[in-house]
Parts: sequence; C-alpha cells; structure tokens
Amino acid sequence: MREIVLAARDVRRDYPVVGEPVHAVRGISLDVAAGDWVAVVGPSGCGKSTLLNLLGAIDRPTAGSISIRGKDVARMNDAEATRFRLTGIGFVFQRFYLMPTLTASENVELPMSEAKVPRAQRVARARELLTYVGLGARADHRPYQLSGGEQQRVAIARALANQPALLLADEPTGELDARTGTEMIALFDRLNRDGTTIVTVTHDEELAQAARRVVHMKDGAIVDQVVRRPLGDDAPAARGATA
Amino acid sequence: MFPLPLLRVLALAAALQQSTPSATSPIAPPRDSGAAIRSITIDERLAAAAGLSVGDRVLLAPAAGAVGDSVVIAAITRRGADPSEVARSEYRVRLHLDHLETLTRSGDRVGRFAVQSREEADPSAVSAAINEAAFGFRAYPAAEVAVETSATFRVVNRFHRAIGVITIVASAIFLLCITLLKVDERRRDVGALRLIGMSRSSVVRAVVLEASLVSLIGSIMGAGLGWFASWVVNWYYQGVYATPLRFAIVTPSIVVFAVTLSLGLGVIAGLLAAQRLVRRAPLELIGR
Repeated sequence: MREIVLAARDVRRDYPVVGEPVHAVRGISLDVAAGDWVAVVGPSGCGKSTLLNLLGAIDRPTAGSISIRGKDVARMNDAEATRFRLTGIGFVFQRFYLMPTLTASENVELPMSEAKVPRAQRVARARELLTYVGLGARADHRPYQLSGGEQQRVAIARALANQPALLLADEPTGELDARTGTEMIALFDRLNRDGTTIVTVTHDEELAQAARRVVHMKDGAIVDQVVRRPLGDDAPAARGATA
Repeated sequence: MFPLPLLRVLALAAALQQSTPSATSPIAPPRDSGAAIRSITIDERLAAAAGLSVGDRVLLAPAAGAVGDSVVIAAITRRGADPSEVARSEYRVRLHLDHLETLTRSGDRVGRFAVQSREEADPSAVSAAINEAAFGFRAYPAAEVAVETSATFRVVNRFHRAIGVITIVASAIFLLCITLLKVDERRRDVGALRLIGMSRSSVVRAVVLEASLVSLIGSIMGAGLGWFASWVVNWYYQGVYATPLRFAIVTPSIVVFAVTLSLGLGVIAGLLAAQRLVRRAPLELIGR
C-alpha cells in the first residue's frame, strides 16, 4: 500500500462576483499516492488551474480539505503556506518564470537559499539537478542564453531543489514546440519513474497520455478518471524521445 | 617704454587698489631696486596685457605726454579669489601715496584706506577708538565690511540653496516614481518568487537591497560626473575672468551628503515599491 501524498476532500472554490458567485471548483475529491503521475485535463475554464492552485497552497478553498503528507494546506495562514510551498511542493509554470539576472545554477539554488541550505550543499545539489535534467554543461548560462526547452528544464530542476513531496506543473509544455514538448514529456516520465509524485494540468494530449492517471474535469468537477499505467509499472511512457 | 594712455588706467586702478590692499599676493618676488628709483607693483592681469615684468621701468604721469616719475616694477601680484571682483576688468597697481596724489591730482585726499591692527587687538575696539578720535570719516571692522559687501552673495547663495532643495525634492519624487515603475515591471518575477515559496520579507529585502545598490552606484557616478563638470566650469571661467576663483566646488561633505541622501531615498523608494508588490496575491502578480 503506497503512502497517500495528496488527499483532497470535497474541495470547493467559489469566487464572489456581483450577482451569482462563480463556482470554479465544485466538490472535488482526489487522492494521489506516492509515485503517481496524474494529468488533469479538460476544456478551458473548467477549473483545472484553480484546482492546481488549491492543491499547491497558492489559493484557499471555500470549503473542503486538502492534505499533503498529512498537513492541511487549506487551513494554513499566508506565512505557513509560503513556507510549505518552499519545502513541500515544487512548481513548474508554463512560462518558466526564471530570474533573468541569475544563472541556471543560481536559479536552482534560489529556493534552497531561501530554505537556508548551506551554500556548498546547495551548489552541489544545483549541479546535480541540472545534470539530471541534461543541462550540466549550461549551469552558468543565464535564461536568455537558453532555449525555451532548456529554460523549462531549469525550472524543473528548481522545482525539485528542496526535494518536495509533490511536483505540480501547470501546462509545462504550453510554451514549447512539438519536439521540445516531447523531450519534456520524456523528462517528466523519467522523473516519475525515479519516484517523483507529479500532478500536471494540461491541454497537451501527448503529455496526458504519458501520465499514469488522467483526470477529466468539466464545469469545476471531475467527470472521469482513467488509469493508464498502474503504480509499479515502470515501463517508459513517453514516445519518441528520451530525456 | 610704457604706453602713456595706460597710465590713466594705472592711476584709476591705483585708487581702487587702496581700498583692498590685502586682496593681492605677490607671485613674482620684489627686487631690490636701490634708493634712486622708486617702485610699484602691478597685478598679473596688467602684466600680461602690457607685456611687463619685474624690473621693467615705467613712467607714472597723470596724462599722456605729461611729465611723470619713472618707477620700476618691483613685483607682480596675483588677485585673491574674491567673487565680487570677478566681473571687473580693471588693473591693479600699488604705488606710493604721493604718486597716487599726483596721478589723481587730489592731494591730501583719500576715499578709503585700510588699517591693519595687531593680531591680538580687537577689531571692534580698534574701530571704536578710531571713530572716537577721528573727524570726518568712519572706521569699520573688516568683518563688518565683508558682511556688507557680501549681502548680494548671501542672496545668491540662498537662491542657489532654494534651487538645490527644489532639485532634490523633484529628483526624489522622480526616483520614487521610477523605482515604483521599475519594480512594478518585475511583478511577474516577484509573483513567481512568491509562488515558489519566497517569503514577503525576503522579497522586500531583495528589492530594497537592489534599490540601495542602484542608488549607491548612481550617486557615486553622479558625484564623479559633478566633479568633472565643476572642473570644466572652473577651467573655462577661470580662463575667461583670469581669476583663481573656483566657480563650482564638489567638496567631500557634498559627496557624503549626496550619497547619503541618495541611499536614503533608494531605501525608502525600494521599501515602498516592495511593500506595494508583496501586498498583492502571487497569482495577481503573475496575471492570473
């Protein structure tokens, strides 16, 4: 029996607007076990990104509970949520959001620096992570010297810096061309096979097909779940490329 | 031979010279000219204009072609850095009183003269004693005369101060607005930092540190630029007015004041800009 890393119960998120409130997420319950890779798919405006923000302690649910490794992120205050995002969750964004003035290595070191990891340790780990994502030779390059795919690899290395329990990715292939997107999917696959628990929100069919489980959302609710590869099946999922 | 029309100028200059004898200093040493011929000193402006040097003989006469007294130039003096004399183009000559009387045709009559007291003497007491004893004129301590004659410069100084204050206030507002805009331009970066778990205080510290560094480097560069500009201004106007007066100065205290002020403004601007950003939700910062 695998540890449940993420447990969401009857999560709701309403946005108060003039007139009738908008129900962005309507009573979602979701469990994610350690080592799982869940892809959340659905049409634009169905509540995927809102759900991801709630799972990542960026936003708070109107009702329900979200527990990550036993910690109720829905009840955390701003400072606690910020600290939890630093050490408990890794984020990968569609637009990378790397610091333009820092090198790839320094970008990866940033969360570790904030978490007060000793300098020698964080430099070594940053090099190790950049090597893992295939950018060992480009550690001293700044973001503008890197391609989109390389920047996203740096962002993934940064997300893994503090060894989070969960990696959340919001449209990680959204800004990449098809070939680079495929390479990125292969990297996510390798990450997952190496034990990283991942939740991705995506429109990318290829990325969704690579995940172990696909969750379909519509109008703020989960309407279907498909297990494509059960936990324990460690055969490579990505087609075409290897990371 | 000394050109005769210049003698009239010399005479006028000599009259002026009497009022401020301490404003000049010799740049060429006096030469022992012996007892037979008497001496005068001229300032370097006259020396340059008339091509004169120490040891030259000139004729002192009240008018061109008139009978005069031959004198030798014993020294060439340099003017003091007195702002009230910068725009004046006259020459200065020091000569004996009887020569002056002859040149001005005003025997036994002077407008002003200076009395140098011993160092331990109280100038106010000395001038009071003179005023009590003398008849037909008044004595003033040099400091009082200086205050009276520098009234215009005090007004100019206040005017400059006002311009300085307005410049500083306007610059501070400008700096604040620029910092706010520049920091706001990076709201996505700040939003991303907040999303990956950077605390509000870390973001504020980073922004304030960056703003402080920019202010510090900017103020040091500004001080350097100011020093260079003042050097150019002094070089140009000292040449134009043939004066050692410094028209623009950048003193260490001015540099310290400018750097401190800039740093203070940078910290305040950075703090305001950072606070403005971290108050907003991370998602709002990245435009979601």
